[in-house]
Amino acid sequence: MTSSHDPQLLKGVLSLLLLHLLAEQESYGYEVAQRLQAAGFADVLEGTVYPALARLEREGRLATRLVASSSGPARKYYRLTEAGHEALAAGAAGWSRHVAGVDAVLSRPLPITPQRKGS
Amino acid sequence: MQHTVTWLDRLRIERVVWSLDQRLYDLPSRTRVARRREVRVNLLAAAAEVGAAEAVQRLGDARALAEEYLAAELGDGPRHSWTAALVFLFGTPLLLNFFLSEATNAYQQALTAPGGHADGAYSWNGVTWLQNPLDFVVHQGQVTHTGGAWSPLVYVLLLVGAVACGRLWRALPRRRSPRPTASADGLGG
Repeated sequence: MTSSHDPQLLKGVLSLLLLHLLAEQESYGYEVAQRLQAAGFADVLEGTVYPALARLEREGRLATRLVASSSGPARKYYRLTEAGHEALAAGAAGWSRHVAGVDAVLSRPLPITPQRKGS
Repeated sequence: MQHTVTWLDRLRIERVVWSLDQRLYDLPSRTRVARRREVRVNLLAAAAEVGAAEAVQRLGDARALAEEYLAAELGDGPRHSWTAALVFLFGTPLLLNFFLSEATNAYQQALTAPGGHADGAYSWNGVTWLQNPLDFVVHQGQVTHTGGAWSPLVYVLLLVGAVACGRLWRALPRRRSPRPTASADGLGG
């Protein structure tokens, strides 16, 4: 994993990553951000993750519940809804197609010397 | 490494939460309170782990975070603003009252100016469209007046102006364009 990612690319897949992490395990906001960072996305700020979770919740892909915490106020845990699981499956399939398409182009051999116009 | 969250850390976190909260007034009250609580809890958890300074830093700019939250909750694109509507609704009367009172004072000063009018009752129609007529009574150089209330048109203009300033029609339930479904490139995140 690289230490930094293209923000635009990351923005496109952040929801997919969050859905997958939450499908693995129900988590609260800071925990999700930590798991994301542990997965190699160390440059993703918490301030990016929390609104993304809010958006997924508004879209009905995440459900929440409050869980009492021994170290402070109750934490809001997110888990996938049925729509969330469907979105994850569709998103993962889409991402695979995307990667395959990009790989197919990038794996083409390049000419050894750069071609010049008119030469 | 676990950090002890001191009162100073809590104050620092509260400042960030307050700063965020002030920018979320366009959200429904319940949602705003829920977001505020969630951010506070997350910041406390982060502060216990990495320290308050680092936790606050990793949250990023409160203004940008608020904008992200507003977009997440209300959707991208143009939105209504309760704040703008309220600023108009409460700000305009202050300016209008100042303007009307200056006009009344001018009329009153004309009545009491040296060589001006004698004792008696005078009537002025007020500022056209905006004000009801005013009645002035001059007695031994002292002027009292009654009337001058806002006309019904002012109330209409206040209402229309507040709606226009806040773009409040966008707050009405409406037929939204379908939300992006899970696509090949992610989820429209």
